[in-house]
Amino acid sequence: MPKKPDGAEKTDLLQGTLDMLILRTLLFGPLHGHSIAHSIQQTSREVIRVDHGSLYPALQRLERRAWVTAVWGTSENNRRAKYYRLTPAGKRQLTAESSKWDRLTGAIAQIMRTREEEG
Amino acid sequence: MDWRRARHELGFILRRLAGRRRAERELDEEIRAHLELEIQENVERGMSPEEARSAALRAFGSVALAKEESRMAWGLGSVETLWQDLKFGARVLRRSPGFTAAAVLSLALGVGANSTVFTFLNAVVLRPLPYPDPERLVVIRERPLASGDTVSVHPFNFLEWRDRARSFEALALTQSIPVNTMTPDGAEQIHGLWLTSELFRVFGVAPAAGREFAAEETVAGGPSVVILGHGFWQRRFAADPGVVGQTVVLNDKAQTVVGVMPSNFRVASLEPDVYLPMPLDRANPQSIGSRSFVCYGRLKPGVGVAAAQAEMSVIAGQLASQYPLDKGYGAAVFGLHQYLVKESRPILLLLLGVVGAVLLIACANQAGLLLTRGVGRRSELAVRAALGASRPRLVRQLVAESLLLSTIGGAAGLLLGHWGTQLLLALSKEAMTFGRVDEVRLDFHVLGFTLALSALSGLLFGLVPAWYVSRLDLQTVLKEQGRGAAGDRRHNRFRSALVIVEVALAVVLLVGAGLLLRNFSRLLQVDLGFRPEQVLTMQLFLPYPAEAKRAGIVEEILRRVEALPNVRAAGTIHFLPIGGMASKTGFRFEGRPEPEPSQSLTTEGSVVSQGYFAAMGIPLLQGRLFGPQDRAGSPRVVIINQSFLKKFFPQGDALGRRIVVQWSNEAATEVVGVVGDVRHNGLTAEPQPTVFLLNAQTPRYVTFLVIRAATDPTTLAAAVRHEVRQVDRTQAITAVKTMEQYVGESVARPRLHAILLGAFAGLAMLLAAVGLYGVVAYTVTQRTHEIGIRVALGARRGDILRMVVGQGLALALTGVALGLAGAFAGSRLLATFLYGVSTTDPLTFVSAPSLLAVVALAACYFPARRATRVDPMAALRYE
Repeated sequence: MPKKPDGAEKTDLLQGTLDMLILRTLLFGPLHGHSIAHSIQQTSREVIRVDHGSLYPALQRLERRAWVTAVWGTSENNRRAKYYRLTPAGKRQLTAESSKWDRLTGAIAQIMRTREEEG
Repeated sequence: MDWRRARHELGFILRRLAGRRRAERELDEEIRAHLELEIQENVERGMSPEEARSAALRAFGSVALAKEESRMAWGLGSVETLWQDLKFGARVLRRSPGFTAAAVLSLALGVGANSTVFTFLNAVVLRPLPYPDPERLVVIRERPLASGDTVSVHPFNFLEWRDRARSFEALALTQSIPVNTMTPDGAEQIHGLWLTSELFRVFGVAPAAGREFAAEETVAGGPSVVILGHGFWQRRFAADPGVVGQTVVLNDKAQTVVGVMPSNFRVASLEPDVYLPMPLDRANPQSIGSRSFVCYGRLKPGVGVAAAQAEMSVIAGQLASQYPLDKGYGAAVFGLHQYLVKESRPILLLLLGVVGAVLLIACANQAGLLLTRGVGRRSELAVRAALGASRPRLVRQLVAESLLLSTIGGAAGLLLGHWGTQLLLALSKEAMTFGRVDEVRLDFHVLGFTLALSALSGLLFGLVPAWYVSRLDLQTVLKEQGRGAAGDRRHNRFRSALVIVEVALAVVLLVGAGLLLRNFSRLLQVDLGFRPEQVLTMQLFLPYPAEAKRAGIVEEILRRVEALPNVRAAGTIHFLPIGGMASKTGFRFEGRPEPEPSQSLTTEGSVVSQGYFAAMGIPLLQGRLFGPQDRAGSPRVVIINQSFLKKFFPQGDALGRRIVVQWSNEAATEVVGVVGDVRHNGLTAEPQPTVFLLNAQTPRYVTFLVIRAATDPTTLAAAVRHEVRQVDRTQAITAVKTMEQYVGESVARPRLHAILLGAFAGLAMLLAAVGLYGVVAYTVTQRTHEIGIRVALGARRGDILRMVVGQGLALALTGVALGLAGAFAGSRLLATFLYGVSTTDPLTFVSAPSLLAVVALAACYFPARRATRVDPMAALRYE
């Protein structure tokens, strides 16, 4: 494994973006922290690599806002693990965040394209 | 929606906070599980166990950071830092126990003193009286227009007021009377209260059992009924619930019990044993007495004291023009509460001011101490700032420390305040009446006051140093490493100002204490006019209508007592000197026409037995004393005192003259002797013209036995009591006391004032000295280098000593000068407490500041001596 290959992405991940990514990951069913980390990593084709550790404060934040709930379950290797599940409020939040995100990326893409055309 | 979310978040935070340990444990477990899973996967991918482990940790990032940020998400951030601040503060305070103890102790003393005084003020002045609508209760007294004082009420006027006044819902008349009652142990004198039926309406209270008196019962010739006081009912009837309807013998007369008053009920400050209907006779009101009654009233709703006063003034004016009796008299209306506290209120307010000053000194001291320490910790603070602590965080840390100090100090102050209250209660037992003792207690007002006070002082002396430190240029501090600089000078000026204020306040208090002390010693030197040593007194009550019987009993008792061994002389007087009671009577010169009522002459009058003057040790100046020839049937005689002689017989030719004294049956009496003046009305009251009438010729109901003993008078009490019982089995003896006790009681209040102010002034002086010591000691430490150079350049020990002491003394003397100015301006407040001492008494104004100057010299000397021991080599190397 390369040493900090995409350090830039790690630190520059926009504030709140990680929360949105977690909610999105949980859309397909409850997961524990480890699977969430790997799921984000794989789905982004290894472009986004988060410190696994930073997931946990994020999960606490989401639980505090009642966007996810947590229950203890058993993991693949037969250990106790905490599974996070998306709540209806979390789903609504995800929808709101995704459309905001779409508008934002659309706008940014627009600007970048314009620049390129000008350049 | 928002509300629900807020509730959810709050619940989340509270659950995490409450299950703090569990939340931490679960987070640990979750992270561990994550890492293990990652390691397992890495191993499955073919890594060695070590590789797998370090890769997993790398991917995870900082475990500590993840935990810390999770905790922040729990919303524990601010609680956490506060807790850390407090923990750190406690560690800092523990590390310097001397400083901590000094700070806590002086704050505790300041807060404790305030808490004590406030406890009294709260119980006596602030807490409302325990009656329904207490603000509507009033006391009405008569006011002789010639004097500023008020006197008790004449029953005739009460009847007129009751008929005419519209301001009151009800007016009631009362008088305390002694009552003799028999117990299995012999006769007992109990406290009775005569009252008119309106009393229950006035105080808004009904008997707990039985009924009130009806209006037709509190008149002359009414039925023999009695209502029992709650305490008396418990004591004498073992709280018998069937007591109503039973009879009890009072003053040899069977009375039917018709009611029992509720517990804790008092009539103003009195707690009578029995309530008796007043035999008030509409047609002949003076038959029960003259101006010796107490009138209580309840104002109608919406009527204020001022309005009632206005109406009563009009009524009194009408009465004065209508009746000779009321010529020259007005009426005065007081709120009951105001009337009851008028004696203790001034001293309590004065004390509150005094302890406030003490607290201010303590706070100034604290501010100084913390400031010095804050400056001493500049390097530490600078390092912490350099390591990333924000300035607000540093200030918060310092404030948390002083808050911790003030909380501990406040708690200790509460404890000291509790003890102080007990102490003051014990000290003031004789000197002041604070109402019921159990009313003087710690309640939520006192608790709130004390906590607010300590929090306030914590902020006061915590914020100042914090503010100062927050203005420090930390980089400069790090460069300087604590060498003297511009900042120090500013800091020194501030500390010097604090010390000057402390010294000034202490001087003011010392002057006040000095004045009260001088006052007390003056009182002890007052010539009483009699010799109180070895004199025993006790009160007799003779409830017999026949004059001859009353006179006979007294004579027989005196005959037997005089025959007892160790008795030098025995006599009686109806009201003892400095016993708190006096009587006045009108008189005129025989042969002159009866003057206009407004011109009528009055004098104090005492009814005494033949042996009284010898027993009390009052010298005869002219003529003779009463002798065996003066008896009930013989020509009436009177003895006058020196003041009477001076005022009414300026030529000194009183002997053989005849005057007509109202009390002496309106009969002409011959002046047979002149005796020395006695301070009858207390040490501070000038002797009044007085006539002495003979008990055998005008026997009283109440009289005091006065017995001069050859030895310790208290050893005689049992024998005298025995003789009295031999003469009259039903005779109850009360108030067995020596004259020296009465004298002691009469100076108890000035003594208490002197003790209290002396103690607080001493405390203030001590605190100010500590403050001065602190400043000088700090200056010495700071100037070690400079002093070293001076010594190296040839300065002698004496020079250094003079320099350091001189600077400290300059501060102290500035404070003394300011304090003297303050004392000159403020000592007028003490005028009401002083007798025979001017508020600008030169002795006090010289000695109090001198004392402080000496103490200040000592406070400067010790650090200065340390300065002289500075080793120049060490001081310079220290750089």
